[in-house]
Amino acid sequence: MKSSSPSTLPPVAVGRILWSRVIWRHWKREPWLTAVLVGILSLGVAVFLSVRLANKAAVSGFGLFTESIAGESDFILRPGAGRLPVEELWRIREELTRSPAEIFPVLEVSGALADEPNGPLLRFVGADLVALQNTANSIRNDSSGPGPDSESDGQGRFGGEDSLLGRADRVLVGEAFAKRFQVEKGSVLSVLIHDRKAEVEIRGVLPANPNLPEVPDHLLLMDLPGLQALAREPDALSRVEFRIPEGVHFAENRRLVGERMWDFASENGYLLHTPEDRKSSVTQMSAAFRLNLTILSGLALLVGVYLILQAMEAAVIKRRSEIAVLRSLGVTPAQIRAAWMWEGVVFGILGSILGILLGRILAMGMVGAIARTVNTLYYETTTTSISLSGGEVLFCLAFGLGASLFATWLPAREASQTPPAQSLKQGTRGGGIAVLKRWPLGLVLIAAGIGFAFLPPFQSGIENQVPLGGYLAAILAVFGASILIGLLFRPVSRGLRSGRPGPMRQYAASQLQRPGGRHRLTAAGLAVAIGMSAAMAILVASFENTLTGWIGQLLKADAYVAAAGANSVANENTLSPAVWKEIEASEGVAGVDRLRRYSVTVQGREFFLGGADYNNDPERYLQLIWIDPPAKKGPRVLEEKMEQVHPGWISESLARRLSIEKGSPVVLPTPAGPKKIEVTGVFAEYGNETGTMIVSRRFTREWYGDERLTNMAVYFDEGVDAEEKVARLSEQFPAINVRTNARLREESIRIFHQTFAVTYALEAIAVLIAVTGLGLALAGLLLERKNELATLKSIGATRKEVALAAMWESSGIAVIGYLGGILLSFFLGWVLIFVINPQSFGWTLSYRIPWGAFAMLGILTVLTAGLVGYVVGYQKAQLDSDREE
Amino acid sequence: MKALQVSKVTKSYGEVPVLKGVSFGLAAGERVALMGPSGSGKSTLLNCIGGIDRSDEGTITIEEQSLEGLDENELCRLRRESVSTIFQFFHLLPTLSARENIEFPLQLAGLEGAEREERVAQLIDEVGLSHRADAMPDELSGGEMQRVAIARALSIRPHLILADEPTGNLDTVTGESILDLLAELSDAHGIAMVLVTHSESVTRICQRTLRMQDGVILEEIATAG
Repeated sequence: MKSSSPSTLPPVAVGRILWSRVIWRHWKREPWLTAVLVGILSLGVAVFLSVRLANKAAVSGFGLFTESIAGESDFILRPGAGRLPVEELWRIREELTRSPAEIFPVLEVSGALADEPNGPLLRFVGADLVALQNTANSIRNDSSGPGPDSESDGQGRFGGEDSLLGRADRVLVGEAFAKRFQVEKGSVLSVLIHDRKAEVEIRGVLPANPNLPEVPDHLLLMDLPGLQALAREPDALSRVEFRIPEGVHFAENRRLVGERMWDFASENGYLLHTPEDRKSSVTQMSAAFRLNLTILSGLALLVGVYLILQAMEAAVIKRRSEIAVLRSLGVTPAQIRAAWMWEGVVFGILGSILGILLGRILAMGMVGAIARTVNTLYYETTTTSISLSGGEVLFCLAFGLGASLFATWLPAREASQTPPAQSLKQGTRGGGIAVLKRWPLGLVLIAAGIGFAFLPPFQSGIENQVPLGGYLAAILAVFGASILIGLLFRPVSRGLRSGRPGPMRQYAASQLQRPGGRHRLTAAGLAVAIGMSAAMAILVASFENTLTGWIGQLLKADAYVAAAGANSVANENTLSPAVWKEIEASEGVAGVDRLRRYSVTVQGREFFLGGADYNNDPERYLQLIWIDPPAKKGPRVLEEKMEQVHPGWISESLARRLSIEKGSPVVLPTPAGPKKIEVTGVFAEYGNETGTMIVSRRFTREWYGDERLTNMAVYFDEGVDAEEKVARLSEQFPAINVRTNARLREESIRIFHQTFAVTYALEAIAVLIAVTGLGLALAGLLLERKNELATLKSIGATRKEVALAAMWESSGIAVIGYLGGILLSFFLGWVLIFVINPQSFGWTLSYRIPWGAFAMLGILTVLTAGLVGYVVGYQKAQLDSDREE
Repeated sequence: MKALQVSKVTKSYGEVPVLKGVSFGLAAGERVALMGPSGSGKSTLLNCIGGIDRSDEGTITIEEQSLEGLDENELCRLRRESVSTIFQFFHLLPTLSARENIEFPLQLAGLEGAEREERVAQLIDEVGLSHRADAMPDELSGGEMQRVAIARALSIRPHLILADEPTGNLDTVTGESILDLLAELSDAHGIAMVLVTHSESVTRICQRTLRMQDGVILEEIATAG
């Protein structure tokens, strides 16, 4: 007689049977556990994806529109510093006499809403609307919907009765702007430009056009002469855009125009680039910040992976007898392993799909916070809508699936190695990863990590240094600590036995005295989550401590005056001489420090040039925190020109970006031609990451012919009430920003916390997932010991006493995980502060451990773990004793 | 005074009746063997007597204390003061040494220092494991583990011991010595015992044997023990 057994069936058929008869039925019997596992994985994927999407959206807001007002510009000409004189247009036209390039001059000016001087930065763009009128693909040539001025009057959309031409009081905005500020055609906005208040009328709302970049939600479009008049910069341009008409000679024409303009730019100290070059070089500046966020989001996923691993391990224990029966029925280990891996595949797919949907929603909430940080620290950007591409979906699907398979692999291997039924009667304590018992390996990994921490950064692109050695050090330390944590079990067990322990505490201590693989895995997982979160807390505390010290050192004046929009790094508003001189001469003012800030580009890197001068009081000169101090100090040292070389101080981020140090020469482009600077000091600066060079304002006034100020520090006479004086100045000059020392400090700290808001949220998620993982792990541990629990009950232990034992055990594991995690965080914090941070950002921070937060974290972790242990123990103590006949 | 009185006890799992009005009594110091095929209801009856499971109807009285009115905590107290259980697979707590396993119920019962140590030492001596007192369960043989389990059961000085296949996982020679030990200690301390077994050899230490089938006691036979 021919018979068939499961082992002779094709593997696919066996897999199908296992799936339908075993795995699927478990899912149906325990839908909540299945939902929790899928939910946890999806949370990890969601956090990872949302940070990626929000990162992308936050930086993609940069210059998409403002850098290519004419649609798809082929080239952009910019000055290396200051403005481009409008006369240059004639020279450019001469250069391109016989070339078919269309030329679009543009002026950009920053502003703010009059009733929100510290609110969102507005960007006024003045363009030659007549030229725009005649070109295809520009914003005005939108044929998909009603234009700002729908009647056809032969003068195009910008002409006619509602004409914007030459008007300093009429603007166009995009739909996003109208929605954000709740305005419509005909609305009048009160705005601040430099130190003046003005009113502009919205003459139209540009409809969205899918073929063009979205008009940012902070942009106001004007006619060029109109904006020049409004900003009182009649001869100034920010840039000139060039567009080559499409046609058979496009490539040849583009090459020709490119060559001529390149020569023109080189001869006159201008910069020529394509919109893509510009965007790429600017967004690279924030690459390190975004990379750090991405790594942090990976932490949530890592902890999620650990959780899945724990849950799958618990499932292996639970189904051990079932697996053994399957083995005894002839199912091969490979088939069992495959069945488990398929379960991981389904978990991965379901979790990823759900995570992608959830991540899309989370990203919408996160993009604002990231964009604010980028705005504060790097460059101007606006929040654009989140776009989820097919590639991104596939990437996250692969990532989620990979994580799930990684988490399933070990339990699957364990399941396949489970011996047949008879050997299970004793309830052997298995599980966990054998490598966790090899503590010398842990030492080796930590030592290797320390070695990697001293590697120089990996150079990736012009602006970007990747601290590869630092990341490797962190990863090795994480693995090393996961192994070494096993050494903490005995001391903690002894601690649990101390005093006069009750039987349940003693029983729990005995579990920790001889920890199983699962105990080690649980403690290691918790330690990794706590270690990484605590390391971030060290970084944030160190940053805060350093920043507070820096602010304290820097902010010595009684009050600070700036034009509106001072909270954004992209703010270009200035104070006119009339205004600042009046403030300086006003009653009660003892003296002022003045600063004029410009944007300059050297070696393709854009940074700030500050022209500073100080009042004559030798006690009141700019006292910075020095990384490499100048040889001489005092209020006048910056004015001491040495032959044709000007002394300059640079921030450490600029030193890193330009690869220069004290003594290095730098050639600055200025409207008065190139100027030689010798770096005479390097100072710490945490206000932006682009970097700053400070020279004497005496020189910048000469070079730029400019008496305006970006901001000034004001010292009052003794006895003057600062609050009252500031209130009087604010009343007198409503269009400018006057803040007391205390208020400015407060705002700086608020911005700091806002910058780290995303970090806090990610940390909380990681710890939450880790504690959930502890609960699941404990459930697995107790399930594995169900015979022990039954024995405890048979000798008279109550459910509460069993729960108490679980509580002590869980608390003990939490203490081990916490101690291990904190020890790990000291090293990770060191790597973050002294390796990753300086290599990525160029900032020197002082190391600070937030002991209070750590103590709180410890108490919360141990208490939560104890509570989770009690609940799980109480539930598991309900198990009936074996009913074997 | 009877050590145990079971009267008309019934128990069903869902629609399936497992015990159908079982009744029997046990005098102090008496040992009874409970035999029958798998599924006859022996272990369920043992669980109901130990208070780990509850009967649907009927009464179980231990030392004149009826189990029916007891809540979960009172049943626990009963198990830690009057009734002990010995299992086929020993069920020692694997992280505790032999001595600690024996000591554990005494700790639960709240017995303090010197008296507890004295009693543990005496029990270890009685089961012949003085030289293995500090060994962990995974370092002990099957017979040694069952001796520890017996000492643990005796530690609270119970009136009744419930033994579920106490020799089922031991070789014949070791099994015989464990039976001798149980009889000897039962006699010495006046402890009543219910021994669930498939093995005829167990009956030699019991005064009576109850044969169960399909949830009822079919016959009661007086035996040598």
